[in-house]
Amino acid sequence: MARYIAKRLLYILLVFILISFLMYLIYNAIPFDRARWLADEQKEAYKYDPEGLEQLYQEKRTELGLDKNIVERYLMWLGVMPLNGKYNGMLQGNFGVSYTNIQQPVVEVLKEPMKNTIFINVFATVLALGITIPLGILCAVKKGTKLDTGVQVGSIIGYSMPTFITAILFIFIFAISFGWFPVSGQETPGSTLTGAARFFDRLYYMALPLIVMTFCSLGGMTRYVRASMIEALSMDCIRTARAKGLKERTVIFSHAWRNALIPIVTLVIGWFLGIFSGSIMIENIFGLNGMGRMYIISLNNNDFDVVLTLQMFYVIIGLVGNLVIDLIYGLVDPRIRINK
Amino acid sequence: MKQKKLLMLIAVVLVVVLCVSVLTACKKDDGPTGGGNGGNTDKPAGSVNNDFKVGGQVIIGSSTELSGDFRWPGYGGSSAGAADQDISRLTVGYSTMESDQYGQYVWNNTAVKSHSEREIEHADGTKTFEVTIEINSGLKMSGGTEIKSDNYLAYLLAMSTPVAKKAFGSANVGQSFVGYDEFNAYDGTNASETATKEFAGLRRLSDYKFSMEINSDYYPYYYADTYGAVSPYDINLVLGGAEIKDDGNGAYLSEDWYEVNVDKENNPVAGDFVKAAHLEQSRYDYYTYEYTGPYTVDRWNATSKEAILKINENFTGNFEGQKPHIEKVIYRKVVEETQIAQLKSGEIDILEGLTGGDSVNAALQLTKGENAGFKEVHYDRAGYGKIQFDCDFSPAMFAEVRQAIAYCFDREDFANTFCGGFGTVVNGPYSVNFAAYIANEDLFDETLKTYSVSTAAAKKALQDAGWIYNADGSAYNDAVGGIRYKKLTAAEATETNINYKAVSVTNSNLPDKTKDYKTVKVGDDYYMPCVINWFCSENNPVSDLLTTKLLNAGNLAAAGIGMTKTEGTFTKLLGEIYRRASYGYGGTPTYSMFNLATGWNSALYDYAYNWIDNSNKTMYDTFFAYSSNKLSDPYDAAFSWWNEENQGLTYDEAVKKSGGKLGMNYISFAMVYSTPTGDTEEYNKWFAAYMLRWNELLPDIPLYGNIYYDCYNAKILNFKATPFFGAANAILYCAVADAQ
Repeated sequence: MARYIAKRLLYILLVFILISFLMYLIYNAIPFDRARWLADEQKEAYKYDPEGLEQLYQEKRTELGLDKNIVERYLMWLGVMPLNGKYNGMLQGNFGVSYTNIQQPVVEVLKEPMKNTIFINVFATVLALGITIPLGILCAVKKGTKLDTGVQVGSIIGYSMPTFITAILFIFIFAISFGWFPVSGQETPGSTLTGAARFFDRLYYMALPLIVMTFCSLGGMTRYVRASMIEALSMDCIRTARAKGLKERTVIFSHAWRNALIPIVTLVIGWFLGIFSGSIMIENIFGLNGMGRMYIISLNNNDFDVVLTLQMFYVIIGLVGNLVIDLIYGLVDPRIRINK
Repeated sequence: MKQKKLLMLIAVVLVVVLCVSVLTACKKDDGPTGGGNGGNTDKPAGSVNNDFKVGGQVIIGSSTELSGDFRWPGYGGSSAGAADQDISRLTVGYSTMESDQYGQYVWNNTAVKSHSEREIEHADGTKTFEVTIEINSGLKMSGGTEIKSDNYLAYLLAMSTPVAKKAFGSANVGQSFVGYDEFNAYDGTNASETATKEFAGLRRLSDYKFSMEINSDYYPYYYADTYGAVSPYDINLVLGGAEIKDDGNGAYLSEDWYEVNVDKENNPVAGDFVKAAHLEQSRYDYYTYEYTGPYTVDRWNATSKEAILKINENFTGNFEGQKPHIEKVIYRKVVEETQIAQLKSGEIDILEGLTGGDSVNAALQLTKGENAGFKEVHYDRAGYGKIQFDCDFSPAMFAEVRQAIAYCFDREDFANTFCGGFGTVVNGPYSVNFAAYIANEDLFDETLKTYSVSTAAAKKALQDAGWIYNADGSAYNDAVGGIRYKKLTAAEATETNINYKAVSVTNSNLPDKTKDYKTVKVGDDYYMPCVINWFCSENNPVSDLLTTKLLNAGNLAAAGIGMTKTEGTFTKLLGEIYRRASYGYGGTPTYSMFNLATGWNSALYDYAYNWIDNSNKTMYDTFFAYSSNKLSDPYDAAFSWWNEENQGLTYDEAVKKSGGKLGMNYISFAMVYSTPTGDTEEYNKWFAAYMLRWNELLPDIPLYGNIYYDCYNAKILNFKATPFFGAANAILYCAVADAQ
């Protein structure tokens, strides 16, 4: 098992290096010159001194390492080659500078949106799984009943309706008409609450986006669980279990559910890994300061240090996530356990 | 059967959803109530009123997001966030001069006890301008510390040193003062003739008196009377413990300001200033340092990007003596799609700058009825949306082509459609709120061309300019139609023009989608097609409307003008306009038409440097990048501003000497560099001449000027915003009804 994990980690490292180099190449191929941009920011100050502006441009090129070739720049970005005499790349914890609004280290820029995104996604994921899995199982067990049909119709609506339509509709119904929730924002304006009071205040503001996110994700997972369970319930072993006189509850949860879990586990783990990714639509409509918005703002502003950091982060999450999924497969299904 | 049941169920669910929506939409509108009746005063809204009681809170909704850069918004960059600037306006006060409701700079008598200005003539014939200011004693910052001369000088000095350059990449705040170059070059160790520790043009005359001397590069200048505008800051915020001294040769900073860090071997590292780190840190420290304005930043919530401001009880008033009366002001971002709902639900109290039929009508709906919980104030936007041309290549370099395009669509109709009935059309680069516009309004009404839609006029303009050929050099026949061509003169046959072509035939009004529309050589002559390459930003409703009303409307094609449309990012659009490779410009001028908007924060606007005069190569090369239209007026070549004999003339003298042919570059420079400070009558003449010439050359086509609506909760008393005096300014005059 340890050997398998070590081997997979080595693969992860190799894939990461390959992908990171490719991504770095792609973003450097975009016709955008950060040094020129920085120099142009000072254009007004150098209005009477074009030579000074050019000198500033050259200084910025040196400062950013843009006078080096692409491989050297990549190695400096990684932190395995010194930039201006100093190792100061990703390996040293320097993910670059964000130039949107104010110049700040990328980590500083991403801190708050990441916290917000995780805050909302943890609840959304737990809530969605907490509803969809039992609902999917129920629908599979009660297949063909009115309840099953009703859930199928509801889930197909939720699944088909674009997120922004659902969000606007829910805002209109629950925030504007009933006034149950705030229309937008992350906490009561001007609030000085702290501790638990602040937590619940934030939760209140997050409620409507959470409901929308949950509603939009119900359809897919419910139908997936249902389909998986229907397939599991038709297996010979289930018939045998029932023939043995086991309680229906035991048949469903100990035998059928365990078999149904194998395809579902990929999705469930994926959902948990997705708590780091923001939703552009939801964040924009509800005015949330999250990762989705940050990502799109950074792309629009050519803020490539932020974009590259995020993409590298998601690459690592994806690679590690795959390893976790493979390991959990073994836990769920002993037949494919590595050290068997 | 099952399928039928399923369909019925879907239908029932949809009907239920629809009914809920309709029923809730019909629910009685219980907007927040307020006792707002304009305030307990007979004075008009927005008048000075210090009789209000202090209390309550107001939430300002902003369409732009705060970034937290409140101390010196945008310093070190090319632009500042509008929302950050609003926070700065509310937290920085006692400036010696402040912008009033009409966008004019006026002396702030609350802070300034006296001021004097004098012109100094030097032996070499140059002139400098000295402003001496004495401030009132007893002015206090939020923490109770008294404001003195040092508070005003600290920022001017610090941000002119290499320390600021190290921190923010820019140290040009004092560049208009005498001795800037020498002071800017001084790093604490290199005192010489070219690097001095004293800033000769800044003097600390006493605890309450200081002076500033403007250098001859910046004087004479029509707006020289605004050079006295300077704001005070907490000295510790700026200098971090360093001191300001003056031994008689100019103000300077104590040695510790230039202290540098040491390396591992304990050797000082040149240029690695300790105080640079202080500046970087203090810029975003909201709580340690005191504030000089009517409000202090009580809390900056980076999570929700929201600023909570608390009243500064030590603030004794703005330029009119107005003190704040609202206890707490909260500034937060709104989402455009739901902003009206937020206003209605009480999540925000003020929404400013609403525009477009849908938003304005929804806001106006809230203000209807006797007990309406909301009020509105509206004003003409100081700015307009426009088509902008690059005038140095392509058919757009010819004024007649630009005029012909203007004749090809109905701008009134465009503005009405785009602004939903809440907009106007302007005929020049002015705000209808500018004093010079108001003074010349009758003249403009009579003389500025409106370019009313007329294909015949478009054709005539093109014919007059020589667009009378087909691609093979044969005569253009109106009855046959197609794209017109022009035979280029030797001067016009530049490399860019002889390689000019339509970038695309698919997204265009070009008649033959299989043909390559480009400059062709017939014999020894080049013929350029009358095809404009238009670049617009993505997802832009103005671009969509222009496509309908101009590109595909038929008039252009009927006049013989082709147009291609290319969409891209706004950054790319700026890159093409400013020809900046860093913004994605490819190195060859390709697009000569763009649509965007422009605006003014102040009524004081300097039109110089917007134009290029190709009669002076040095100036042309130097200022080309600053010219948004790249227009060289032929009149400037004949009567150039760069000929010193032509400088300093009055308008009447210049008209006489030039034979009545004054070019854009000349007028724009003379307007501010030949007109004595304060001579509005003379300035207004130049302003009128500028607008008339501009209207003739038409480097832009103004499309629409919005009427902005600010909608606010009626609990807010005495609210009155203007184009130059937004909610962040107007809120100072307000109070909350519940607190009265």
